[in-house]
Amino acid sequence: VEDVLNTKTAPFDIRFPSTNQTKHCYTRYIEYHKCRKERGPDAPECDKYARYYRSLCPSEWIERWNEQREMGVFPGPY
Amino acid sequence: MTNNSCLDRRHPYHLVDPSPWPITLSFASVPTTVGGVLAFHSIRAGGLLLGSGLGMLLYTLFLWWRDVIRESTYAGLHSACVHQGHRYGFLMFIASEVMFFIAFFWAFFHSALGPAVESGAIWPPHGLMVPDPWGIPFLNTLILLGSGASVTWAHHALFAGSEKAAVNALAVTIWLALLFVLLQAMEYRDAPFTMSDGIYGSTFFVATGFHGVHVIIGTIFLICCAIRHYLGHFTPTHHFGFEAAAWYWHFVDVVWLFLFVSIYWWGGH
Repeated sequence: VEDVLNTKTAPFDIRFPSTNQTKHCYTRYIEYHKCRKERGPDAPECDKYARYYRSLCPSEWIERWNEQREMGVFPGPY
Repeated sequence: MTNNSCLDRRHPYHLVDPSPWPITLSFASVPTTVGGVLAFHSIRAGGLLLGSGLGMLLYTLFLWWRDVIRESTYAGLHSACVHQGHRYGFLMFIASEVMFFIAFFWAFFHSALGPAVESGAIWPPHGLMVPDPWGIPFLNTLILLGSGASVTWAHHALFAGSEKAAVNALAVTIWLALLFVLLQAMEYRDAPFTMSDGIYGSTFFVATGFHGVHVIIGTIFLICCAIRHYLGHFTPTHHFGFEAAAWYWHFVDVVWLFLFVSIYWWGGH
């Protein structure tokens, strides 16, 4: 019951005010990897970005981007 | 007794005699466009059709403008009123060309200001070796600015009746123009990316490519002016062909400035 009562999603981000949240999902994914790169892979501060992008992004996108990372062809930064 | 001279008309306009060149131009446009499309799809006949169409097009334009020179310089039919009409008309043509380039700048900014997530939401896209704006592109900027100055020098020489200076200034302008074309051709040949390399390649080569075509057209126009000036067609007060070429050349220069700032400088690393 407590888990159900504590469910949250990513907070409203003023940078992405419109209905289309594609850029929001993508930006949080990038921010997570930027945080990992700058603070190390085990930094706890990065978890919140991880939760945000996993909430916002379709799982197919996350899988595709992670596969691109593994193959070294991810087109974005970090 | 009345003469049958066409100058008995009581108006200052030039009603041109019937001419076959407009319809010849339309007919020449058919193999040009059809051949062009076939060539884009790598069909062998396309190249031949495009080449012959372009040849017909260029020959028709030569004949048409030759007739305009006959009517104006030799027959004196371009009154002050006709001259004014040509000035307005050519300015409107340049305005239409500005709109043409605005389309390609719009396309560039659409893709570069909000880059697609699929290509990483960054500009320029990752992995592209974009040209260093402060290399050849900056040199090209200086070349075009210099040629704008020399064409203005030529114009002032024409006003002053200094025919030799006008020839020299036009020669400087044409040499600078040819240098620009050569340098840009070398950049194209040595570019590490092509038009097929994603949205960057498309926007880069379409915008700079159409600009290059306009530079070549402007250079040919300036060469024709140099030949006509050498033949004595221009007077200090009436030299619209030269003015049109100079306006066109300044337009080409301004488009390059926008290209340099937007695509090469802002759109680069």
